[in-house]
Amino acid sequence: MNASHQNRPLKPARVTGEAQVWLTAMGLSIGLIMVVGLLAIILINGIEVFWPKRIVELTMKDGDKTISIAGEIVIERDKPIKTDETVEREIQLFTGNKDVYGQGFRFIDEKDVVSRSQPAGVLKVERMEYGNAIGMPVSLKLKGGEVIPATDPRFNHRLQELIDEVTDRRNEILYLEQSVIGANARRMTDLGYQRKSAESSNDQAAIAEIDAEVATLQADFEILRTKALELRARQKDHQLVLKLFTGEERTLIMGDLVKVTWSNELSLIGRVGLTFSHLWSFMVEKPREANTEGGIWPAIFGTFVMTILMSIAVTPFGVVAAIYLREYAKQGPIVRIVRIAVNNLAGVPSIVFGVFGLGFFVYIMGGTIDSLFFSDKGATPTFGTGGILWASLTLALMTVPVVIVATEESVAAVPRGAKEGSLALGASKWQTIQRVVLPAAIPGILTGLILAMARGAGEVAPLMLVGVVKLAPSLPIDGIYPFFHLDQKFMHLGFHIYDLGFQSPDSEAAKPMVFATTFFLILLVMALNLGAIVLRDRIRRRFATSAF
Amino acid sequence: MSTSQVPGTPTPQRYATSRATLLVDKGMTWLIKAGGLAVIVAVFGIFVFILWQVIPLFSSATVKETDAVTLPAEIKAADVVGILSDEWGELPLVVERDGTATFIPLPARYDSHDSSANSADPKTASGSTTLPTPSIIDLKLGDKPVITSCEINHRRQRVIIGTADGRLAVRSVKYQSAFADGARSITGSIDNDLTLTLGEVGKPIVNAGYGDSDTRKIAAIIQQDGERRTVLASTLVQARTLFGAGEIKPDRSFNLTEQITGVAEQLLVDERAEGIVVVTKAGDLLYFFLEGDAFTLRQSFRPFADQPETHIASIDFLLGEVSLVATNDAGINRIFSLYVKPGDIARTYGITKEFDQQLPGGAQTYAPSVRNKAFLLTHGTTASLRYGTSAAIRWEGEVASPVIASAISGKYHRLLMVGEDAKIHAYDLNDPHPESGMAAMFGKIWYEGADQPKHDWQSTGGTDDFEPKLSMIPLLIGSLKGTVYALLFALPIAILGAIYTAEFMHPKFKKVVKPVVEIMASLPSVVLGFLAAIWLAPLLVDRVPSLMLVVIALPTMAIAFGWVWAGMPMSVRSRIKPGYEFIAFVPMLMLTAWIAWSLGPVFEAMVFRVNGAGDFPNWWRTVTGLSYEQRNSLVVGIMMGFAVIPIIFTIAEDALSNVPPALRSGSLALGASRWDTAMRVVLPTASAGIFSAVMIGFGRAIGETMIVVMATGNTPIMGMNIFDGMRTLSANIAVEIPEAPHHSTLYRTLFLGALLLFMLTFVVNTVAEVMRQHLREKYKTI
Repeated sequence: MNASHQNRPLKPARVTGEAQVWLTAMGLSIGLIMVVGLLAIILINGIEVFWPKRIVELTMKDGDKTISIAGEIVIERDKPIKTDETVEREIQLFTGNKDVYGQGFRFIDEKDVVSRSQPAGVLKVERMEYGNAIGMPVSLKLKGGEVIPATDPRFNHRLQELIDEVTDRRNEILYLEQSVIGANARRMTDLGYQRKSAESSNDQAAIAEIDAEVATLQADFEILRTKALELRARQKDHQLVLKLFTGEERTLIMGDLVKVTWSNELSLIGRVGLTFSHLWSFMVEKPREANTEGGIWPAIFGTFVMTILMSIAVTPFGVVAAIYLREYAKQGPIVRIVRIAVNNLAGVPSIVFGVFGLGFFVYIMGGTIDSLFFSDKGATPTFGTGGILWASLTLALMTVPVVIVATEESVAAVPRGAKEGSLALGASKWQTIQRVVLPAAIPGILTGLILAMARGAGEVAPLMLVGVVKLAPSLPIDGIYPFFHLDQKFMHLGFHIYDLGFQSPDSEAAKPMVFATTFFLILLVMALNLGAIVLRDRIRRRFATSAF
Repeated sequence: MSTSQVPGTPTPQRYATSRATLLVDKGMTWLIKAGGLAVIVAVFGIFVFILWQVIPLFSSATVKETDAVTLPAEIKAADVVGILSDEWGELPLVVERDGTATFIPLPARYDSHDSSANSADPKTASGSTTLPTPSIIDLKLGDKPVITSCEINHRRQRVIIGTADGRLAVRSVKYQSAFADGARSITGSIDNDLTLTLGEVGKPIVNAGYGDSDTRKIAAIIQQDGERRTVLASTLVQARTLFGAGEIKPDRSFNLTEQITGVAEQLLVDERAEGIVVVTKAGDLLYFFLEGDAFTLRQSFRPFADQPETHIASIDFLLGEVSLVATNDAGINRIFSLYVKPGDIARTYGITKEFDQQLPGGAQTYAPSVRNKAFLLTHGTTASLRYGTSAAIRWEGEVASPVIASAISGKYHRLLMVGEDAKIHAYDLNDPHPESGMAAMFGKIWYEGADQPKHDWQSTGGTDDFEPKLSMIPLLIGSLKGTVYALLFALPIAILGAIYTAEFMHPKFKKVVKPVVEIMASLPSVVLGFLAAIWLAPLLVDRVPSLMLVVIALPTMAIAFGWVWAGMPMSVRSRIKPGYEFIAFVPMLMLTAWIAWSLGPVFEAMVFRVNGAGDFPNWWRTVTGLSYEQRNSLVVGIMMGFAVIPIIFTIAEDALSNVPPALRSGSLALGASRWDTAMRVVLPTASAGIFSAVMIGFGRAIGETMIVVMATGNTPIMGMNIFDGMRTLSANIAVEIPEAPHHSTLYRTLFLGALLLFMLTFVVNTVAEVMRQHLREKYKTI
């Protein structure tokens, strides 16, 4: 050996494949960035909808004149149409006042803008119709002819008072018209059907009885109607005068107003508070203006009721099937095949279940129920059309494999010793299952159920075929006999997203609503999933320590 | 043990299980078994139900004779020249040679398609009532006319008559139905539309035709002139007066005789009143077209030139009057359609279909359906019901007596044939889905107006004579296309991520990473679809070069960094512990991606130049000749990839982590690097599991609905262009089923789509599951 070689310090051999390890790390990092990024996009865009923005007045040059317009800046961006080399920027402004301008949003070239300011005292008014109005308050015209100018110190307080007053009265009208008069009308329709069947059986006594009831209902209806009209008339008592930045003066009827905000006077705490207040009203209000205004309460409620109904249907069947497969069926190739098939059913596309639901539940079962029990309604389908019951059953069928698999796993995880101990003590098979196996398996069953609920709550495609609609006039559960309206069509958060994003007449106005709805749906689904994950971890830990 | 009884020892009965417990146990056993089996059966019932809905699509027509009504004594079978049916097939009009026509009432039948009708046995409902007497109507052709030619337009309910004395007459039949006490009564009347002489008076008309497009009317005749035959055509005008439509008079006349070689035998005028088809004795077909002031001979060919029998036995229009159904004397049946041939500018006739089965001889009667492309041909006692679009024989059979005239009821539920036995034979026709079948759904079909056979999906159209195009192939291709692009995007990320998580990542991060991925799996697809359409598609539409750069830059950066890093001295390398690489990578990747994204326009300006400026969409269109849509497969691929990444990741990661640790330890102990261990030991062992992960990802992607509905244009096009949209099987169902009437062909076809999806995913998932189970067995033995 030669000396120089011996003296050379030992250089470690390059480890093979380190670069490739980094490549695989990239895969994971990209995946994580994507998840977090996507959630961030939804959360930021969703929250932004509720965050009260400042109102900006833009002054632009138009020839010799200057014109100004005010609104909330939605986005500032490069113009999508490229002109050679120079990039122009544009501002998308939410101007409101759709009744005056024809549209709620406007694009303005940044180069036209001479100055921007945040005018003090500007008022953003949420209305029942035509979306928001934005302008400077001028005066309040009260019923007696009294006029309170905006400069009057009492103005703000009085305005708020009036808004509260008309809101209360609006709720009263709503209750009167929808609940009281609605119940009255429904009763009359029912009586109409009863009268028809009484006529066909020629039961004169019954007809007379029905006619008498109809007469009293009719009298009640007249009284209620006058009362409602009276209230409606009072909604128009007072008016608010606004001056728009484009110069027009508008008189708004007080009864149309929902909420007023002095956007540019809000403090940080005020803005945070308002954000939560917006969030709350978004959750509890009904949608208005083709779903582009108002809230999503019916969609939240519809999703909730459907998910609960689905759980009621899926749990007993899923658990019974799993116990049968694990404890009663003879373990052999057939059960193995059944198990694989059930497992695979979870991978069958949801639309296939929707098609089945439409063909079987709606047309066959619903059609049969209609012809047996609702034949007096003639060709109008009751159960023979999509409804919340069929939607729930369809989703139950879709999620039953999830519950079966989860239950089976948790039943299988119950230590054999515990079961055999119970049997050795003389307990019957059912007693063992009831007292030993099921209690131990409950967390696992719950996990499966929560996963099923999460899947059911987020699913849209099958629901489109079996009963979801863009706007349901009433809720599936309400105070009207028989309280549960299983035949009713309903609204759903997921479908609401689809509908708002793709079928909306005003896509710009709908965009924030879609993000906000998405935000809620994601919150719901994520909460359910996190619950399932936490629960599963607990079980694992419990079984890990309870070794026999 | 001793068996001595200790006082106070309980009796053995105390140890016996109480009867109630046993009873409950028995009951529960029964209940669980029944319930469990019921659920399992119900779950598989889905497949059976969908299959059951689909089966009628593939069944052929059934035809059953229900009534044979003897013609009134005045009508001799030999004198019958035509029959025309009403909508219900209950009051056909029989036209005779002597210029009279008779409405002949037939026993009523309930419409077999009409589910709302009383479901009681139709026979008993109608059998008891006596039939009204036939009403004979004079066609007002003067004294003792002889009809030499009678053509029936079933669609317009019109009779076109040529007489021995050279007159052409058009009579239209009006049916009115009234409903009283749940029974239907139909009355018929005849309108005297037009009687005129186009050629010479007194010379017999061989054949006549008439077309009326509302704006224009054309009449044409073949007239016997001694030995010669003249062919005359004329446009007609209708005087409009204050009192409504006035008399119809000839306007411009055309003599086509000179342009015809051979002896004209039959002629047809289409309902658009622009084309005349003349057929000669030798078997030539001449197609005249009204262009400006003259009829020009647009086409002349011999439809059966390749056959020994060239003579055309029968020829007539199919519904829509774009196609001609012709038979030759040997009974070969072909369909010729108008389409623009390559290089031509005008539509001419070309053969599009030939039926496999031939009739015993040339067709003697022909009756088209007025609601679909079906038609009835008869020769002697053989009757054949065929469907034009799919060239399928729906039914063929022998009838009691040789057929003289035939018609199909307006509702396509009854066949009427006048036999030589002087009876009208009525047949119930049950053929709810004539347009479907294997060939229509999976084969290439030469649709009317198309210049070649193709796979096409277009279920509804604007007109009554529209041909539904129900090929599943474009939808299958669309599904596969979306899936392939989704997997192209998802596989590298998911599998690399799974390898890293299982092999290299510090185990303590698993508790965080796996739930995060599960959250990703739980994102509702409607959210992904909405983001794809509202956020991703507009973002990507003019930034494709940026995306390309990102796709190139990220792996390059990762490998380059890894290579440099591995060469660093140990002191540097120890800053990032093994298993922590992915955290260090997050900011680096984001930075790289941002730089690459921003450099996109520069890259675009350098590479994708069109007309001196960088413009990728334009470049793509000009260079490849393909289209570029905003909502395209790229967007779908990315978002659907998003949906399948977590599934593939989770299953692949499970398969890798479950490789027995002894294998891994052994390899490392022998001095292999962690990468070599992963690649040469772990990966081959777990390969079946990874494959099953890919299969399950495939199954999820192929059935995905909302993302595709929202993020593509849903156009059913073939081809794999990444910047085109597509329509998948699942999206097709979601889009079309709300418009599909219950039990219609479209409804069942959509069920067929669902069945295909079901089978596809079920097979794929089963294969994956079986492979996973094998893998589990394998791990047990190692």
